[in-house]
Amino acid sequence: MAPLKNLETEYPIIDSNFQNFCASHGIFSVEDFLIHDLYMLAAFAEQNVSSERLKEGITQILSIIDDMHQPWLNGMELLEDAKRNKHFLPTGIQGVDLLLGGGIRVGQLTELVGPSASGKTQVCLQTASNVARNYMMLYLDTGNSFSPQRIAYFLGKTNELASAQAKNQILQKVMSNILCHSVFDIFAMFDVLHQLESNLRCQERGGGCRIRLLIVDSISLLIAPVLGGTSTRGRALMASAGYLLKKLAHQHNLAVLVINHTVGSEGGTSKPALGDSWKSIPHSRLLLSCDRGSNVYNVSILKHPSMKNLRSKQGPS
Amino acid sequence: MGSKAWLVEDESAREMLDRVLTERPFLLLPPLHRVPLRVGNIVEIVGPSPSAKTHILIQAAITCILPRQWKGVNYGGLGHLAMFLDLDCRFDISRFSDLLNHRIMEAANGSSSEVDCQIKESEAQNATTKPYNEELFASCMRRFLYIRCYDSSEFLATLKTLHYRLQKERETHGVNVHVLLIDSIGAFHWIDRGSSSFSLEGDTRKSLHLQSVTETVVQEIRKLLLVHPMLVMATKAAVLGNRYSMNDSKRNYRTWSAKDNLHSRNVTSSDQQVPYREYMPAVWQSLITHRILVRTTDADFVNGEHQNVSTYLSEWLLPPLNSVDKFIVRDVRKHSCFAVFKKKNQISTLSFSCI
Repeated sequence: MAPLKNLETEYPIIDSNFQNFCASHGIFSVEDFLIHDLYMLAAFAEQNVSSERLKEGITQILSIIDDMHQPWLNGMELLEDAKRNKHFLPTGIQGVDLLLGGGIRVGQLTELVGPSASGKTQVCLQTASNVARNYMMLYLDTGNSFSPQRIAYFLGKTNELASAQAKNQILQKVMSNILCHSVFDIFAMFDVLHQLESNLRCQERGGGCRIRLLIVDSISLLIAPVLGGTSTRGRALMASAGYLLKKLAHQHNLAVLVINHTVGSEGGTSKPALGDSWKSIPHSRLLLSCDRGSNVYNVSILKHPSMKNLRSKQGPS
Repeated sequence: MGSKAWLVEDESAREMLDRVLTERPFLLLPPLHRVPLRVGNIVEIVGPSPSAKTHILIQAAITCILPRQWKGVNYGGLGHLAMFLDLDCRFDISRFSDLLNHRIMEAANGSSSEVDCQIKESEAQNATTKPYNEELFASCMRRFLYIRCYDSSEFLATLKTLHYRLQKERETHGVNVHVLLIDSIGAFHWIDRGSSSFSLEGDTRKSLHLQSVTETVVQEIRKLLLVHPMLVMATKAAVLGNRYSMNDSKRNYRTWSAKDNLHSRNVTSSDQQVPYREYMPAVWQSLITHRILVRTTDADFVNGEHQNVSTYLSEWLLPPLNSVDKFIVRDVRKHSCFAVFKKKNQISTLSFSCI
């Protein structure tokens, strides 16, 4: 919330006379203009001595406000952007890729829900190993579950026929493409994400190898401690985290995959954690379950922008 | 005669009615078609997540941007602009373009029966992803204006500059914006509530908390509608009350009851039971002129050969109509139709409209 006088150098119309006029109405920064009635302000300016200059100042403020929101796009421009940038990132797991129509969608927030020990981290690691062959990715690890050995194992399985040297090369490349951060509370995650945002903005101008995938394993471990009770602060943090992830996904063309666990609900069934307020934040929700007896993994869609609930079986992997 | 001379008439009542009905037509948008809507109405579509709310908005936008007639084919649209304020940031443009394409194809083929839809769908699946009629598709897509808001400041900034944007678009396209769609209005509710309302420098300074943001939003919308009459449709995600025996509702009641009573108010229906938990401040509730509740149901579709149908129930709360409609959204990969049935009515007619 920078005060108005900081704008004076760039916009000389916002002089001290204008600032005093605004201060008399309780406006001290540009954000304050957002919650005041500008037409009434203009009417007050009419009664003032220097009404013309004041009204010009208000018009200038309006054009500053015009820069404070996202640009307006029409349908064709949106479609162009979707075709050019918002591809699918294959996970390497056949069942999931078939179910999602190609893989995890760039520009969207995908959530993977499952009870404990249902293979969520395995899905993450396999996706990481698959995507990191071609792109860089960021893995936010909340529970020390990242395992380089497992990544090497997945790579080994898919490259069985390659020579030892080629395998080693691929392994080196994949390992250098995966950035792994350990975060243990939600504020650390915000730090990392804000840092990522500013890095990506710099890189956009400079080019260079860009991050394509962001995995948070698991976001419920970060949010659950701040939720609960009657405080609204926890839910506000959760919503802000969701929006930050969606913003990163859309503006910087990342695919974001977050992991959530399940809790028991009334009636003995289980449902995804983090409650109803989180329910409407991700674009797609997938439910992962494991049938212990037959070692078969099931993936089904809980929510998707354009598909109803579908099921897909996936063998042990 | 002298006394009559000062009463100069502009137009007769009949002429005025004709003019108003042409310039501000009533829209019947399935599945909201029980209550005709026109500019100046502010409709709130309430429902748990997911319940086809965004789908209803998309269909309304498509009805608005399609032309009435084009190269001899009647499309039944308005040919105006539609503005979409995406506060949820979950809009999928590929789905929108698929639905638009489907409706263009349907109208062009002049078919509105289920059987034809099936045939077309198998043809379309073999065809390429090229739109059916590129020129019409492109001109319609250009009439769809979209913006994302990632927080309340961006939303307010958009509303404050919307007047100039509307004027500019009217100059560029030559037609007005007819519908303003907001998805969803309660998106920043928790974030705004979380930012505490501490007042600096005495009481003259307002800060961006829930009450002031909502008041400003309502004020801006009211002022906009004076100068640019539009139909406003807003979705709102809500948790259903125990009338619909959702398992979660009882738990949510306990956690939400203590806080901020001035911000919430129970909405009672004729059954004297709460259909859903209202969380928007009273100032927003007073802006709404129409309200409809949609929810999903597991009841099977009567004619269900299709695997991929989702069934929903809709109920008008304001104006309160004592009937519940059932509609389906057929998601056959790139196709989606509404089929509306009447329930709780003596005449059980099957009104089908594949849009």
